[in-house]
Amino acid sequence: MRLATPLWVLAPALVLVPVFGLLPGLSHGGGWELIGQFAWAAVTPSLDPLVLGSALQGLGVTVGIALLGWAASLVLGLVLGLLSSRTVWRTLSGNAWPAEVIRRLLALPRAIHELLWGLLLLALLGLKPAVAIAAIAIPYGALVARMTSDLLDALPTRQLEALRAAGAGPIGALLTALGPPLMPQVISYGGYRLECALRSATLLGVFGLGGLGAELRLTLQSLNFRELWSGLWLLLAVMLSLEGLLGALRQRWAMPQRFVLSQGGVGRRGREMVLAGVALVPLLVGVARVLEVDPLALVQPHPLPPAPPVDWAGVAALPWPSLITNTLVLTLTAAALAVGGAPLLLLAVRPWGWGRVLVQLLWALGRLWPPPLTALLLLFVVQPGVLTGALALAFHNLGILGRLLLEASEAGGDRAGRTPAEQALEASGSGARLALLYGRYSSVASSYLAYGAYRADVILRESVVVGLVGATGLGSQLLEALSSFAWDQIAALVLAYAGLTLLGEDLSDRIRQRLLAQQHTSSSATSAIPGSPAADALPA
Amino acid sequence: MRVRERLTAVLAGLSLALLPAVVSPMPPAALAQNSPQPAQQRGLKVLRVSAIPDQNPEKLNRLYGLVATELSKQLGVSVKYVPVTDYAAAVSAFRTGDLDLVWFGGLTGVQATLQKPGARMLAQRDIDAQFYSVFIANPKSGLKPIRSINQLSELKGKRFTFGSESSTSGRLMPQYFLSQAGVKLKDFAGGAPGFSGSHDATIALVQSGAYDAGAVNEQVWKANLRSGKANRSKVFQIWRTPPYPDYMWLAQANLDQRFGKGFTTKLQKAIVGWKPSDPEQKQILVLFGAQQFTTVNPAGYKQIEQVGRQIGKIR
Repeated sequence: MRLATPLWVLAPALVLVPVFGLLPGLSHGGGWELIGQFAWAAVTPSLDPLVLGSALQGLGVTVGIALLGWAASLVLGLVLGLLSSRTVWRTLSGNAWPAEVIRRLLALPRAIHELLWGLLLLALLGLKPAVAIAAIAIPYGALVARMTSDLLDALPTRQLEALRAAGAGPIGALLTALGPPLMPQVISYGGYRLECALRSATLLGVFGLGGLGAELRLTLQSLNFRELWSGLWLLLAVMLSLEGLLGALRQRWAMPQRFVLSQGGVGRRGREMVLAGVALVPLLVGVARVLEVDPLALVQPHPLPPAPPVDWAGVAALPWPSLITNTLVLTLTAAALAVGGAPLLLLAVRPWGWGRVLVQLLWALGRLWPPPLTALLLLFVVQPGVLTGALALAFHNLGILGRLLLEASEAGGDRAGRTPAEQALEASGSGARLALLYGRYSSVASSYLAYGAYRADVILRESVVVGLVGATGLGSQLLEALSSFAWDQIAALVLAYAGLTLLGEDLSDRIRQRLLAQQHTSSSATSAIPGSPAADALPA
Repeated sequence: MRVRERLTAVLAGLSLALLPAVVSPMPPAALAQNSPQPAQQRGLKVLRVSAIPDQNPEKLNRLYGLVATELSKQLGVSVKYVPVTDYAAAVSAFRTGDLDLVWFGGLTGVQATLQKPGARMLAQRDIDAQFYSVFIANPKSGLKPIRSINQLSELKGKRFTFGSESSTSGRLMPQYFLSQAGVKLKDFAGGAPGFSGSHDATIALVQSGAYDAGAVNEQVWKANLRSGKANRSKVFQIWRTPPYPDYMWLAQANLDQRFGKGFTTKLQKAIVGWKPSDPEQKQILVLFGAQQFTTVNPAGYKQIEQVGRQIGKIR
């Protein structure tokens, strides 16, 4: 039996059946009073000038770290991306193998979550703003590099060959032939990375690397919900404005959307783009000065204390099978919940106009709210464990996936987001939900699931952040090792994480390729480049 | 048109490529021009004070704001409170010299001393030489107050949470007493204990029923009872541990070189000299929950070090 295309999108939501089956047994309900207080605090946030002042200050630090980390990652990523592009190497030196080597080397920094980078760098270098910035710049840089090189190598090389044949120099030919089609995609992707950087900077704060995240965690732990919401609302305002601004710029500059990388033109209003780029520079310098960032701090590591002898027996004695199994179960559950949950929620509220707005607000909160804090909140009503961690991760990723789904599926739609096909279905008498399913989901099914596969890979990396809730996976073991300064265990655990992530990446690549190939043969509704790394080009 | 677009695309690329060149030279340039004198001396003259985040941030901010003002007044140097969100981060920041004077717990203090030989334990509260933890439970767990350490074995099979991984009163010593009663970490429900992150969170989580039982710092427990945040009908004490040494002020070894000869002694005298008769100092003492500070006998922390090694938190 073959499932109808639109239903594919909903298939992952089947995980809800076991989850709902398990939840009643896990919930203890003791903390509903606290959850009530938490919800009430949302509408009565503290307006104490002291609280607001300190939240604003924290927010400033978070935004500053995000901006600087993002800028550094773009620069790093573009340079490394060029260095790991086969086309570039072939044009410049005739050999493509150095590109392969660099590409493989870059897999390691990418496989390690920014939080891990943060905690490792913190332990090595101490508490400095540059640490948080580097923690974002390193993994993001490696991601941008991969995206850039994938895009570059997927571009048709006819123009390049023609230019070379006509006698143009290698660098000039590369710039002329590949620069224009590459730039809009890189800029568009770069914009999305900034949104991600803001989320990462908040999360880093939760673990003590400065900024608003720290206040969110401390106010939550001490149950000061009203103070918590003051910070949260401010952060929400900043996040939504940033998303709005980037969306508007993308539209104004005719940049490709994230889901479907159309082979569009170069983009419009080049001068504006250049001006915006130039205006960024003094802004970044200003932010760096205010935060007292000293990049030199990164190259002056403080000597580690004399290391205790490596205790291999201790490392081997860690419960590896259960650590890895738990981490994988956590990842898959969270991924399925997030991927299947987004379309399901939209479908559920489809008949009501305000439902969409409500769901969007929920998703915005999900994106905004760092998963470890969701996990802590969940603990008030649910028992600790893998499922609790999975729910927390799922909520965060649901916010990200849901927004993408809306963005992609409503392109070209009317004010309520209905696409022409959907409107036609509704006009011909089918119900709103059915019209949504067949009129909208069917056209985005493959690319959405392809993105979902990529997201699962991100969730695996992210599973470290819910170590807090005693999810008993690699994440919690790693936090324990970090607090014991057990460098042998830390190294082993980080390597285990990197290995798992690389395997997961490979797997999700294969799934994605299959889905995209399927999409190419089965539908021409979307204009993804065949065999292109469309979903690779997507942000973490 | 196309030419212009290409040009702008290239320019955009160039401006992005030039970004690091513009951003990164800034601090080195600043270093070359204005420092070494002003920038570094400014860094030298600020005494950076911090504390492990064992309480709610509002209280930490209030308390250490007062401490900074008071020390600055008494010592004539500028004092800055640097909040830290994580126990291990505080230890790392002390090792790398980013913090000068830190209010550490027993375990973190010993970790920091071992990682930064020469660090000086300046002072502790009157209550720290004999500090206690309490085990607390939710009434629904069926647990009853216990009389002897061996009865801690009743916690086997229960959902149990510690505070922070590195907390002395919320983890290290409770785990030690549990092991004396034959309770291993994997004996708890779910195969592992939880780590709530702070004493306040432990109390809230046990009160909510997320965990059947937990271990907290007695001082924070009493404060929660007084403030009404802990509801006696939903969470109650089942056992008080034997005493052990806990918190301390730990100072870097190089303060005399940086702030002038005799500075460390001056600092120690200032802290130990805080009296309830002075209104500001009284506020500090009240927030610390102490009558006064005393000097420290470092030998007392040998026990903490031993337990730390036994449990694997010190290596």
